[in-house]
Amino acid sequence: MAAQVDTSPAGAAAKPRAAWHRRLKQVLPTSDPFAVAGILIYVVFILVAIFADQLATHDPMEILFTDTYKLARSLPPGPDHLLGTTNVGRDIYSQLIYGTRGALLIGFAAAAAVVAVGTLVGLVSGYLGGWVDNVLMRLADIALGIPFLPFVVVLAAFLRPSMWNVVFAITILLWPNSGRVIRSQVLSVRERAFVEAAVVTGASKAQILFVHIAPNVLPLSFLYGSIAVGWAILTEASISFLGFGPSDTVTWGYMLQDAYASQALSRGHYNWFVPPGVCIILVVLAGFFITRGYEEILFPKLRR
Amino acid sequence: MEYIARRVLYTLFVLWAVASILFLMFRLMPGDPRAAFIDNTFTAEQQQLLLVQFGLDQPLYVQYGKYMVNLVQGDLGMSFIYKRPVVEMVMEVLPNSLVLTLTSLIIAYAFGMVAGAFLARMRGTWVEGVTIPVVLATRAAPEFWLGMVFLAIFSFSLGWFPAGGASSAGITYDSFWQQLVSPDYWRHLALPVITLTLYLQGLPLLLMRSNMLEVMEDEFVTMARMKGLSEWSIVMRHAARNALLPVATAFALGVGFSISGNVVIETVFSWPGIGRLLVTAVSSSDYPLAQGAFLFITVVFVVANLIADMLYAVLDPRVSHGSAG
Amino acid sequence: MALLSIEDLSLHYVTSRGVARAVDGASLSVERGQVVGLVGESGCGKTTLARAVTGVIPRSARIVGGKIMFDGMDLVTASRRDANRLRWREISFVPQSAMNSLDPVYRVGTQLMEVLTDRGGMDRRKAKARAAELFEMVGIGVDRLHDYPHQFSGGMRQRAAIALGLALSPKLVIADEPVTALDVVVQRQVLDLIRRLQQELSLSVIIVTHDISVVAYLCDAVAVMYAGKVVEVGRAADVLNAPDHPYTMGLYNAFPDLERSQRRLTPIAGAPPSLIDPPSGCRFEPRCPFSIAKCGEEPPLEEIRAGHRAACWRTGDAAELREKAADVATWEQREGVGA
Ligand SMILES: Nc1ncnc2c1ncn2[C@@H]1O[C@H](COP(=O)(O)OP(=O)(O)O)[C@@H](O)[C@H]1O
Ligand SMILES: [Mg+2]
Repeated sequence: MAAQVDTSPAGAAAKPRAAWHRRLKQVLPTSDPFAVAGILIYVVFILVAIFADQLATHDPMEILFTDTYKLARSLPPGPDHLLGTTNVGRDIYSQLIYGTRGALLIGFAAAAAVVAVGTLVGLVSGYLGGWVDNVLMRLADIALGIPFLPFVVVLAAFLRPSMWNVVFAITILLWPNSGRVIRSQVLSVRERAFVEAAVVTGASKAQILFVHIAPNVLPLSFLYGSIAVGWAILTEASISFLGFGPSDTVTWGYMLQDAYASQALSRGHYNWFVPPGVCIILVVLAGFFITRGYEEILFPKLRR
Repeated sequence: MEYIARRVLYTLFVLWAVASILFLMFRLMPGDPRAAFIDNTFTAEQQQLLLVQFGLDQPLYVQYGKYMVNLVQGDLGMSFIYKRPVVEMVMEVLPNSLVLTLTSLIIAYAFGMVAGAFLARMRGTWVEGVTIPVVLATRAAPEFWLGMVFLAIFSFSLGWFPAGGASSAGITYDSFWQQLVSPDYWRHLALPVITLTLYLQGLPLLLMRSNMLEVMEDEFVTMARMKGLSEWSIVMRHAARNALLPVATAFALGVGFSISGNVVIETVFSWPGIGRLLVTAVSSSDYPLAQGAFLFITVVFVVANLIADMLYAVLDPRVSHGSAG
Repeated sequence: MALLSIEDLSLHYVTSRGVARAVDGASLSVERGQVVGLVGESGCGKTTLARAVTGVIPRSARIVGGKIMFDGMDLVTASRRDANRLRWREISFVPQSAMNSLDPVYRVGTQLMEVLTDRGGMDRRKAKARAAELFEMVGIGVDRLHDYPHQFSGGMRQRAAIALGLALSPKLVIADEPVTALDVVVQRQVLDLIRRLQQELSLSVIIVTHDISVVAYLCDAVAVMYAGKVVEVGRAADVLNAPDHPYTMGLYNAFPDLERSQRRLTPIAGAPPSLIDPPSGCRFEPRCPFSIAKCGEEPPLEEIRAGHRAACWRTGDAAELREKAADVATWEQREGVGA
């Protein structure tokens, strides 16, 4: 045993960190022009979200008045109001800017939660196996058997509509996708020689799990993360549109709901409801671009 | 056979679990659930009456037992607001949802498969370069937003289609079948179907395309060429037939997914379907109705998944015909 | 006149890493009723050459020179219609992996019927009878026509692929590693089948293989391919008993006989060169235990005896080299080659 310890230590110590690096590089396909476009779109939106306070021209919820003290309702786009105003005199451009912050916050929070839960479940389930695995996977079955949006609607009706509850709802329904795939990845990685080497050298279970196995599933986690951002933003928009969205945050979904409920459609206020939709498309599309070619993992059943 | 039995059992298990989760959700959520359904304008007696009527005065496990028994017998209780059996109300609108979903899915998949196969042939050309991002954009768009834009343009601005609902004012039908063949119904159906179709066609299209590209590289396609078979045979009989397998599965899954996504489309177009029923029930705190609508959606969803699995088994001889050699 | 004669054929693959000259001026001819072995290590261009004859080559492949004369017609320059007319009716193909070459979603019988009706012009009744006859010929129960490919064992699939190849009674059958994927016992059975059918039907056959013992067992003539070129060609008995090219000598040492005699085996050190940037001069030179200065120049494929040609500068010393080559140590000395 001791002899074996001596043959590998240099490699064993250096490997894990290198592995994380290498894996990350694999995931970021910087030579693909589509992926670059996707990353650029994300960067722009993230900057907008960060600098929303500087970029916005008005308070998004403030009811505005014109110079002649009349309600600034349904103004067309112009220099004062870049995208015009809503029917009660709110600045649409500023809503869009703050909506970016709200949407991305929800998107990233949900994606992080989905991936964290999915990865953890996948690691534990795959590594421990046995009844733990069984229980977790049956839970995943159930979660996947639940129709997504209707459940979020029902849930949103119970939990007070807030941003965190939307994130919560998205998380409990989306983790199984990543959890399952990561579990099967763990199962294949677990058998590999270097894991056994780690067992021989006496690394603890947790050490093996996080130092030797985790780096190999990181690309998958990342992938699911990028996809989950788009999903979460779309879901938030849908929930908000149905009127169960967070009441404490301006989001793109809120804007669309507001426009729909305020007859913006019949009045032809395209300046009101087109921009938020375009923003949603761009963010989700960027996610597609970054994860291009991985469409099928959204529908794991399609791959046999 | 054993495979199918296992799948059916699994489906029942999921249904049971969902029903139980629903039961717990409606009773154990933070805050007294009764508060959501019983207005404080009710008198104490009225409240008590309602509690008894809904069995909320009994211990939890008794409630659960009754709930399950009723469920199995197809009794989902009475709508709190409409005072009608939930099953009846759901059955009234479910056909509308199925018509909307299936019509859209069939058009979307028929189009998507042909277009996908065509795009596979166009690989590396400008057609591909332009089409793929556009198709991806339709998949990235929220379906309700597509509906909003179409409503604004084709209904409000151009006046080509009605702005919502399933029938013009004053029109009633004696039966669902009469409704189904009425031009007025289809005029109302058109815009939701167009929206949903546009939203749905991306998946079969992209799937068909990538499958075709993959299959065309397969050895048996090369062999078909060596045999001198016609281009039609090679592409349709061999490549497309194989590329189709996952698309067929996606179709069945799609029924479940889009029924579940119907909550937004039906809301945008005020389409009297089960999704809209759920939304209105939840908004108005009509708890038995919301529960019933949700359970029905779940049934359709889970059964669609089951059919998807079986369909795959039927279409792929590697699954349906075990190895005998 | 030979049934098939390939003259100075060059075929390149255009890849992102460069142009791979997979077949580089290769010549080969097949007489009527003759079995010709095409032998060489993996990656030497055998499959590429064989497939070029069928006229179905990958999209990245370009025929940049030479002729493929079949029955008086040049397949390289023939019109699509003319070339297509020959497919399967005159030239058929038995692939290496029968599993992947059969369409998984159709019954084996259906795939036979397809060829018989679509390409053979038979009506269904006749085609059915022919399909049954073919299955009998290759020794599979007729009831198995209703099976799907995945229900067959490896050996049966290969037999089915042979039945498929013989369906339209072609003049030339090209079999690419027809037994490589099978285990030894089944290999022998399938080779026997090929030999029997070849004799009964007096077929012309090209057998592609990396295994020189298969050549010894089946072939009348053999062409040895190395790095895109034919380096030695002649009657099988001649080439095997008195090889003139060191590569052929090396190959002989590298494979067991089908009879599994106790000969000591040793592989040729190293691997065939990349065809994107092959060595100038003799391509085998870097691995050859007998190389001399002259080998920096490319040797021509020259007639040594009647019907026997080799591309080596040292054919004059062939007898001496054969003696040395028979000693396993000769091949073991060359260490660090190509590693
Ligand atoms: N479709 C292809 N595209 C590019 N290169 C190829 C292709 N097929 C084969 N090659 C290359 O051509 C060479 C010869 O391959 P092949 O004809 O398959 O050899 P063999 O059958 O003797 O093993 C190899 O170097 C291989 O990498
Ligand atoms: Mg080969």
